[in-house]
Formats: sequence, structure tokens, C-alpha cells
Amino acid sequence: MELNSIKDAFDRVTKKQKLSFSKSQEVIEQIGREIEQAFLRLQSEQDSASPSAHKLILNELKTKLKDIAPLSHLEGTQKELNVGLSKYPKLLEKSFNPDISKAYRNIDFDLHTVNQIIASHFYREGQFDIGDCFINESQELEAAASKSPFLEMFQILEAMKCRNLEPALGWAARNHDQLNQNGSDIELKLHRLQFVEILQNRGRDEALKYARAFLAPFATKHMAVFQKLMACLLWAGRLDSSPYAELLSSIHWDKLSAELAQQFCNLMGQSYESPLSVTIAAGVQGLPTLLKLMNVMTGKKQEWQTMKQLPVPVDLDKEFQFHSIFVCPVSRDQVSEENPPMLLTCGHVLCKQSITKLSKNNSTRRFKCPYCPAEVEAGQCAQLYF
Amino acid sequence: MSSSPMEVDSQLANGSSVVAAAPATAPPSKSGKLAESLKLEHQLLRVPFEHYKKTIRSNHRAVEKEISAVISGVSAAADSELSRDEAVDQLSSLVSRLQGLKRKSEDGSRTEHLQAQKCRARLEHLESAELENMSEWNNTRMKRILVDYMLRMSYYDTAVKLAESSNIQDLVDIDVFLEAKKVIDALQTKEIGPALAWCADNKSRLKKSKSKFEFQLRLQEFIELVRGDNNMRAISYARKHLAPWGATHMKELQRVMATLAFRSNTDYSFYKVLFEEKQWDILADQFKQEFCKLYGMTLQPLLNIYLQAGLSALKTPFCYEDDCTKEDPLSQEAFRKLAQPLPYSKQHHSKLVCYITKELMDTENPPLVLPNGYVYSTKALEDMAKQNNGEITCPRTGFVCDYTEVLKAYIS
Ligand SMILES: [Zn+2]
Ligand SMILES: [Zn+2]
Repeated sequence: MELNSIKDAFDRVTKKQKLSFSKSQEVIEQIGREIEQAFLRLQSEQDSASPSAHKLILNELKTKLKDIAPLSHLEGTQKELNVGLSKYPKLLEKSFNPDISKAYRNIDFDLHTVNQIIASHFYREGQFDIGDCFINESQELEAAASKSPFLEMFQILEAMKCRNLEPALGWAARNHDQLNQNGSDIELKLHRLQFVEILQNRGRDEALKYARAFLAPFATKHMAVFQKLMACLLWAGRLDSSPYAELLSSIHWDKLSAELAQQFCNLMGQSYESPLSVTIAAGVQGLPTLLKLMNVMTGKKQEWQTMKQLPVPVDLDKEFQFHSIFVCPVSRDQVSEENPPMLLTCGHVLCKQSITKLSKNNSTRRFKCPYCPAEVEAGQCAQLYF
Repeated sequence: MSSSPMEVDSQLANGSSVVAAAPATAPPSKSGKLAESLKLEHQLLRVPFEHYKKTIRSNHRAVEKEISAVISGVSAAADSELSRDEAVDQLSSLVSRLQGLKRKSEDGSRTEHLQAQKCRARLEHLESAELENMSEWNNTRMKRILVDYMLRMSYYDTAVKLAESSNIQDLVDIDVFLEAKKVIDALQTKEIGPALAWCADNKSRLKKSKSKFEFQLRLQEFIELVRGDNNMRAISYARKHLAPWGATHMKELQRVMATLAFRSNTDYSFYKVLFEEKQWDILADQFKQEFCKLYGMTLQPLLNIYLQAGLSALKTPFCYEDDCTKEDPLSQEAFRKLAQPLPYSKQHHSKLVCYITKELMDTENPPLVLPNGYVYSTKALEDMAKQNNGEITCPRTGFVCDYTEVLKAYIS
């Protein structure tokens, strides 16, 4: 982001602040010097000196301080500083969106629900201490229920970081059937990694034993992988200088950790990404559009509070696109159950109502597709399911 | 239905954009979107600056006050009949007072400097946002938003813990909120002193924004006197502290004065409510609002603002169906509940997501139609055909067909 003008403005403020500070130090020192001088003169006077003598010294000091007018000295620099202090926030207001709550509907979220969402966000991110602290402080003790499944997942991942696959293999074995059902081959991938570890660190015999016990069951379904792994036995202890050196890359560990987390969440019926993070990210992308909308909706604040659908499209990146939306290119309507999308014989897609209109509600009357020269019949159009 | 539709399609695509009521602006580029999102960060820069400004002002006031005091100390000494020794004592105490001021002002300057550094750290953080490091930057933003939420809800321990564990202390306003904490804690134990002191501290700014918070504090104090049957004290309190607000808030003033006649055990609900315990919670909430305004913060937690915008942008009628994908936050009950009163999003253009791969179907990965009308992406069906000798099984209906039977659909 281009922030140079803002940074310059800020530097001006700090410069003025330093100036103002040194000025006040200077003034304080000056007053101090005057008083000290008077003090020394007083002290050096004879005890017997007339009372009017020290009174004279004090009066001279009083006049001197009045002449110095220390406070008015401070005024000038302070004024300049004040200008900077009030200018800078104005510059910020101009360069940024000064009030991002302008598009906020006055609806109170249920505190309980929000707190539960936050608690499970902490747990799924592996921030268990913070999650615990949060549910204690917010008194949302039942939110702790979301902790234990993620605790297991992070224990498995932590172990993998130390190159310990036992917990991961245990989990995969326990969930063997379900993983199979989901078409995941993560169990084989874990065994492959373990096999390579054993081959590299504990030698051929151990590796062969492991292969017989754990890889053989995959041999028929994953022939190529199995054969490649068996060939590795030839390079026991020196896999790094073999054609299969690539198997030692730590990338496999990182990739498999990510895949495991994904499968783990999947089995729990949870999304891989934190739903809170996803929603906030969508909010950050959508908010600028909503704020612009509010600028043109001034005076219609009431309407905004009750609107059932946003009046403008909010353009989000495709990672936020979870559903198929079909907007009929002719009517610009979003399709629905009553007005479904239909495939014309030419391959173009329109909503049912548009086809009814184009064919003048006659299923055998031919009409021209609005997007190509083809002539089609309404009766031959087929409903689509996205 | 050969290749001709595609060509005509692209011609018409240009023409039809005139028909469409969509805004004429092109969809913003990635970097455009980034810039837009950074413009939402006003508070990130504003709050530490207001803090800095406040420190500068109060330090300056303290210096001015001390200097005036020293000068009038000299005048007083000159004007009174002091013995020489007394005069010596007087001056030496003024000298040490000045030395104290010098030290204090140096300390103050150090604080100012630290706060200026915080302002700068935030500028640098904003500057560091680039397309290449967005995922890390967004991660930090998520944490900043959460710390903001914790601070506003008075979950201070969590706020501190989260900030420390992610090393973002410079990017969050814990120090600012600790100032609020003192006042809120006091209000929760029905102690009004710190709130009044805070009002006095920020008098000119509260006046500028026409705040009546101090008046409300005074009303509550009056009510407490009435509750305790301290009628004489209540009346003299009202004369001193409520009367000055009469010009602008007569109605409320009259209402509260009337409680003198009804006392705290009144059955008139109009007056009874003034004696309720929740008045103190209302005061605490009011304080939070005044506090946020003063620092240039939004009145709602940032989390709520972004959540609301995000839920609206994501909300579609399909989200409430059983087959809503798990990756959609709105497939979860908690999110559905929050989104319930919010508007649905709106689309001007078709966006088709493959049921199998969850990927967008576009010109690079066009939609294919099975003979039963179900649509999947080319990528998904190609893969399936490859693995099953050209056979396609519809995952939603079990319908089986051959890959050669699928048709291309053209979505404009
Ligand atoms: Zn056509
Ligand atoms: Zn959904």
C-alpha cells in the first residue's frame, strides 16, 4: 500500500513533538538557572545583611522570570505540534474508510453462539491454551466439547513433526473402512513413509518385515506403488544415492501432514479451513462493496435494515464459491426450484420462464436461440441439475 | 451444436453486458482488492495515534502547570516577609521541584516515543501487505480482530495471551483498553469515581461530541442518594451537579428529581426503572461507547462487523439445504443462526461449482451434462472416465452412462 504521504505526515508530527520537548526542557533549565543564581546570591549574603537585601534578590528573580515569560515560549512550538496532531487524523480519514460500521445492521449477534464459534476456532487452530483461557474467561464451559477431537489431531501432527508416525498409523487403522469409503489412500501413504524410514534407519531385514506385514495388503490395488517400494530394498541404507532418492524428501512429510489434517476434519464432519476465518475473509472482501452501497443509500438506512437480499452483487474470490448459482442470461433472474435452468438442444442454458416466453408458451413451436443461430423447440429442452 | 456456439457466444457476451444492469466497473484485480481491504484498517492507525496525542497533551499540561506553580512560588516568596533562611529554603525547594519536573518530562517523552513507535509499527505492518504474503498477513489480521473482540468484551487475559503468543502486541490496543478496564471494573462495583475522573480528563473532547455521559453518571449518583434516603444531600448534590445540565436535558432532570417524592420503593414503573440494578450495566455500556468514540474506534467489535458482512456475502438459499458442503461456514448450525436475520447475497452472473471437485466450472473447465440432466465439470468426468474405462456414474443419482454420451453446456 502506498503510505508515503501518511508516513511523511507522521514524521512531521514526531519532529514537532521532539521540538516541543526540547523547548520545554530548555525553559525548565532556564528557570532553574535563574532560581539557582538567586539562591547562591542569597546564601552568600551576610547573615547580618538587612532583610531588604534578600527581598531585593527575590524581587529581581520575580521580575526576571516575568520577563522570560516561559509559558509563552512554550506556546509557539506547542501550537505547531497541535496543528500536526489535528491534521494527521484528518489525513487518515481521507485515506481510509473512516467508519467501517456504516454498513452494519443493528442486529445483536447471540453472544453465546459467537463465543462458541471462537472457542472452536482456537481449538481447531491448535491454540489449546488460549481456547481454555477463553472459555474460562467467557464462562462458555460447554464449548470445551469441541476440544478433544482436535487435540487428538494435533497430537498426531506434532508426532509427525518429530518423524513419529505411530499415532497417525493408529488413527488410520482405526478409521480404515471410512477412509476407504471416502476414496482416501492416506493409510498406504503413511505406511510408505514409515517403510522408507525403516529402510533408511533400520536396514533391509526390518523393512522387508514391515513390507510383508503392512504393505502387502495394498499390493493388488496399488501395484505400481508397491513394486516401486519393494525395489527400494535394493538400496537399503543408501537410498539417497538411488533412483528413489526423491522418496526421502521432507516434502512428503509436509504434504502428508496437510492431507491427514484434511482427512481428519473430513471424518469429524468438519471443514478443513476454520469457518470463522473463512467468513471473516469473505467479510473483508465484501465490506468495501457494502460500504460503497451505503454511500449511495444515504437516507434509506431503514430500508437497509430490513432488506431480504443485497441490492448489489458482492464479488468474492472463487474460494468462497460453495454453491452453483445460475443467472439466466435473458431474464437476469437467479434460477429456483419453480424456475429451473434448462438446456437447449444447441447447448445454451436459459431459465424455464425465458423459454416459455420465447416459445410463446408453445412446446412444439420452434424459436431461435438468443445466443446462436440454432432453432429449438421448448419441448426438447431438458432441466439441468448443477 | 458443434463449435459454433462458442464463437457466437463471445460476440454476444459483449453485447449482453449492455443489457445487464450490472455495474459498469470491471471486477477489481487482485491488487485492487487488496488495496480496498487495506482501506478498512483506519482503526489500526487511528487508535494508537489518539493515544499518542493524549499522552502528549497531558504531558504538556503537566509541564505548564508545574512551571506556573514554580513561578507563583517565586512571586509568593517575594511578596511575603521571609527571613533569609526561609527564603533560601523556599528557593531550594523550588529548585528540587524543577528537577523533579525535568525528570518527569523526560519520562513523559520516553512514553511518547514508545507510542510513536507503535504508530510506526502499524504503518509498517500495513505497508508489508503484499499479494505474495497474503495468507500470513490475513492470519495476523484474524488474530488482531480476535484480540479486539476480547478487549471489548473485557476478556483481558485471553487478549493478552493471544497477543503474546502470536507476537502482535504492537498491533493491538491492550494498553488503551486497560485504561477503560479501571473505569468498567469500578462501575461494576457501583463506584463512580474513576468514571468521573475519566470525564474530567477528557472534558473538552466529550463536550465537543455533545456527550451526556457525565450527566448520566451524576444522575446515577443522585439516585443512589435518594435510595439511601439522604434527601438533603441529594438536593444539594442536584443543585451542584445536575442543575448545570438543565438547559440541555430538562426532561431527564425533572424525571429524576421526581424520584425524591416517590423514593426507591415506588411502583411507578416510569421511576422504578431508574432504581434498577441494570442501570449500572447501562452506564458501563455507555462508557464503552464513549471510550470507543474518543479513540476513533468502531462502536461494535471488528469481529461482528466482518462477520456480518461475510455472512451476507456468503448467504445463499442453498446454504440451508442438507447437501450444503462442509467447507461452507453456513453449513454449520451456529453460522446459520447468526446469518438468519441477514440478507442473502446477490449474483449478476452465473457461477457454477462442480459437485464432485468443488471447483469452479468456467471456460477452462466447462460444465458437462449427463443424459439425466446432472451437470459436472469436465475435469471430474474425464478423471472418472479414465479410471472406469469410459464409464460415468452420477454420484447423486447412481445413473450410469458412457463418457461419449455427455454434452457440453454453454453458460453465458
Ligand atoms: Zn444456442
Ligand atoms: Zn452454503
